[in-house]
Amino acid sequence: MFAHIRDRFGKIFYPEEYTSLKEVDGYAPLITDFESLWNRRLYTRISDAFNRPITGVAGGSVALLERESKDYNRTFRLTGGKKTVLNLASYNYLGFAQSEGYCADTVEDSLRTNGIGMSMPRNQGGQTKKQIEVEKMVARYLGVDDAVVVSMGYATNSTVIPLLTSKGTLIISDELNHSSLVSGARMSGATIAVFKHGDTKDLEAVLRRRISQGQPRTHRPWRNILVVVEGLYSMEGEFCDLVEIVRLKKQYKFNIYLDEAHSIGAIGKTGRGVCEYFGVDFKDVDILMGTFTKSFGAVGGYIAGRKDIIEHMRLSCYSNMYTECMPYPVLAQVESSLQLMMDEVPDWVGDGPARIRQLAENSEYFFHRLIELGFLVLGSPGSPVVPLLLFNPGKIPAFSRMILERNIAVVVVSYPATPIIAARVRFCISASHSREDLDYALEQIDEVGDLLNLKLAKK
Amino acid sequence: MNTNFKALIALAILNEVLGSGLEDENPALFQTQDAGKNWGAAGSSESASAGVEGSTNYKSLVKIIGFPFRLFMRYIRGSYKNDPFRTFLELCLVVFFVWYVSRQKYKMNQNDIKLTEKEIDELVQEWKPEPLVPGLSKTERLILDSIPVIDGQNGVEVRLKNGDMVDNFSNYDYLGFMSNNEKAREKAVKTLRNYGVGACGPPGFYGTLDVHMELEKKVAEFMGAEAAIIYSQGMATGLSVIPCFSKRDGVIVADSGVNFVLQQGIQLSRSKVFWYKHNDMEDLENVLTTTNKYISKIKGPTPKKFIVTEGLFTDTGSIVNLPKILELKKKYKYRLILDDSAGIGALGARGAGVLDYYYGEKEGNGKDGVAEATKEVEILLGSLWQAFGGSGGFCCAAKELIGHQRLSGLGYVFSASMPAIMAVTASDAISRLAERDGDGRLALRKLNENISYMRQLLEEINNNNNKSINGYASEEKRLRNKDSNVSSISSVSTNNDNFTDRDSGIIEIEGDDNSPIIHVHLTPNCMRQAVQKLGGNGGINSTQQFWTRQDEELVMMQLASEIQTTYKVLVCSSLYVVEREKEPAPEPSLRIIVSAGHSKHQIIKCVEAIENSINKLINNY
Ligand SMILES: Cc1ncc(COP(=O)(O)O)c(C=O)c1O
Repeated sequence: MFAHIRDRFGKIFYPEEYTSLKEVDGYAPLITDFESLWNRRLYTRISDAFNRPITGVAGGSVALLERESKDYNRTFRLTGGKKTVLNLASYNYLGFAQSEGYCADTVEDSLRTNGIGMSMPRNQGGQTKKQIEVEKMVARYLGVDDAVVVSMGYATNSTVIPLLTSKGTLIISDELNHSSLVSGARMSGATIAVFKHGDTKDLEAVLRRRISQGQPRTHRPWRNILVVVEGLYSMEGEFCDLVEIVRLKKQYKFNIYLDEAHSIGAIGKTGRGVCEYFGVDFKDVDILMGTFTKSFGAVGGYIAGRKDIIEHMRLSCYSNMYTECMPYPVLAQVESSLQLMMDEVPDWVGDGPARIRQLAENSEYFFHRLIELGFLVLGSPGSPVVPLLLFNPGKIPAFSRMILERNIAVVVVSYPATPIIAARVRFCISASHSREDLDYALEQIDEVGDLLNLKLAKK
Repeated sequence: MNTNFKALIALAILNEVLGSGLEDENPALFQTQDAGKNWGAAGSSESASAGVEGSTNYKSLVKIIGFPFRLFMRYIRGSYKNDPFRTFLELCLVVFFVWYVSRQKYKMNQNDIKLTEKEIDELVQEWKPEPLVPGLSKTERLILDSIPVIDGQNGVEVRLKNGDMVDNFSNYDYLGFMSNNEKAREKAVKTLRNYGVGACGPPGFYGTLDVHMELEKKVAEFMGAEAAIIYSQGMATGLSVIPCFSKRDGVIVADSGVNFVLQQGIQLSRSKVFWYKHNDMEDLENVLTTTNKYISKIKGPTPKKFIVTEGLFTDTGSIVNLPKILELKKKYKYRLILDDSAGIGALGARGAGVLDYYYGEKEGNGKDGVAEATKEVEILLGSLWQAFGGSGGFCCAAKELIGHQRLSGLGYVFSASMPAIMAVTASDAISRLAERDGDGRLALRKLNENISYMRQLLEEINNNNNKSINGYASEEKRLRNKDSNVSSISSVSTNNDNFTDRDSGIIEIEGDDNSPIIHVHLTPNCMRQAVQKLGGNGGINSTQQFWTRQDEELVMMQLASEIQTTYKVLVCSSLYVVEREKEPAPEPSLRIIVSAGHSKHQIIKCVEAIENSINKLINNY
């Protein structure tokens, strides 16, 4: 807000810096000043904390490419140097981002026999036997009828939700839902209502009001209602209250769309996500969505659930119809990591379950240690994403730089992913971290926390 | 949870404002003077916004922790001494915020009917939702079951699940790079051993690999653009880029033949959209004038204005009249969003797409004007999954625009980056084209030969079969359009020039002569017979006089599976999510994609397969 005011003054005092934002020769500015406000005023100053390029595998530790800037972060130049740091940033929950081991071997085999991409949309010739096999496996893993895989997690949400809805459908969405879910809801043309993040009371209130009032203006009853929630909120580290939502579902007869992008593989005794964690029947959730980008170390997403829904998706999902299908190496990675998680590989018995256990231990340990140290930590214990509140966007670059000096890579988030003043740093715990890694990280975070006055919860 | 969280924010804000005062939770230690200093000259912006955001929580916060209200007062007094104006401003903001919040609440429930709790309960009880998705119809199930399943590698020949080897004419691999690509595979294995598969994070959060940056650089060089950005999926590219620039206040003039991805991108942007007839420059000019008139009536600043079109149209195979568009766009002051996903890798002397086709090196002159032309196109989209065999897509534009996308391109910011293997594969394919003596140029020449050959043979089909159809005029098609609400208005007929003679022969060949994507339709006569014949086989009511779009889809599907099972050629019937496509959806067709990898023999086989299958269908022998 203040930056905005400053911008106003800036336009008056330094016109030459603002040419790209003004109307030139009858063309409206391509980027409006409000949209780019964040970019110009704040982001450039802290941009060295984002888009840091890496090389190699984003495993337990990662090699950053060093870069420098001579013009206050407007441009960067790679120095050619590399720096290996502890990786508390990647969504590599189960440590499957590897270039060796069972998964990599399987992928290599697949590359040699099946090649790389398909260059065809799935329904236009690109459907492979492997895809169908992987889909069966995902369905078996989740214990549901059927599943369909899509080549990108973001697109899974944004191209599937429109198909589930039509005019007369009400989508009720958690206010902090991921951008892909929001895009999907917008593309669907359905009416969208929002409830307060994680607040099932508010959800119930919205439901009661909306069902009783019917569609806007006509007051006709809704055709159906889809409640869209995430299993684990990646910016908050919080689980959704699935038990309560399922209870409400039975009462209010809506359908649940559960996005398990972060929770699948990472949560629950055998990694089967929040349903397992809360002891909810998988069949009570109408649409189980998840991505392979995180725990599986691949890319893409899936939709799983009842046969009728999945068949419909398989035929008409936009991504299946109009863009590339899942390439072979990705399928092989998904298949092999799933096999390990289900512990079905004779030569690697116990590897998958051990990872899941290790991750649970690590997350628990890290979460509690941070609290002990007096930090303001968000989220539920047991979540592999641990956000720590910084509040002041000014502390973003400070924290990120200081911790990087100490050889740790973290993700700092603020606008647009969170409200501007609720800036936070997010630690992603992985099964490939050892206890020493975590202890080292905690020690360093402790020091930085003291320097930056972050221990707000300290008694 | 939520209030809790807000309270936390407020807590932290207090902490920021009061320095370390709060931590001790001891008002006695608190020095008013210090607080005053804290408010001082720096006047950090967060304290001000804090006042706005946290104001409503102040009270609850005070209650929650029982924190002495006096502290607050004293602090105000303290700051007042030093800076009365700031306190005043602060107060105004608080008042404004409270007003703002209460106003919204008032508005929200205005239209509601007042109901008692009991009535609501009853309504909830009574409400019967419909199922989320309708079950598959019989046709849909047939279509779903007929989608071919490939077992094994991609290429001009592929193995199907049932073991048949078929010639592949449905692959966007125009240059044949995907067949026998031992080198690419070895490279992929090497990449795998260096990078693993997924990058496990969005580009912003340690997901940007060096290979991504190289690929971006290579793409920009190849297209002659200032900068490029890569997206990890083809569809996500269009869906992200258009809404990234054109917002609710934008105005888009779009070709009515653009593919579904662009349609969705336009819809997602929520801009005002005007359609012009497919590739019809006169109509475009008309629309531009009316649009400009419309705009001049809007109050406020000039909106952003875009023309959205494809280079090589995926759904029709026609090529955009780019020089005219560039001229018009300048004349009427529009910006151009050009999606050349299908054209890049196929058109032009070096495969740089429609820009190359018009402005690239022509025989003899040795001058490559692609880079200059690219500068004229504000936003250029392309794909990496089609001709280049990787995955995802890219956008080329000026540096600032690319920078803007790195923060606001939703599919870029909120999704994981492309696997290194795919990036390296695409990157190598581009190199093969970019190098003057690379094998890419050879492949392009071969591709052009194959396209001409294929078209020539397809046209001969009609000569051979001119008399096999007894002549009903094409009236029927028109009747169908008028009377059947299921079917769509014939979009192809707007584009008559691209067709071979419509009333004779059995097929219509759509698209530009240089297009590797060839849509083959049946002539209305032929379609009528086919529909009737299939009606005898069940599924279609043979007594009906007019047929529906579904009937046509079934016919095409039947043809495709006949071609595939009997003649071992893989040609796909083009499928669309009809109910979501812009009206009218493209007509059902057989989509043939020609590749440089095809041999003459394969092309002959493909055309024969099509001819024989159609004849078999309509004559039932
Ligand atoms: C909840 C949620 N859904 C979907 C996605 C998108 O997944 P992908 O990165 O595979 O596109 C993410 C990724 O950040 C996510 O957090």
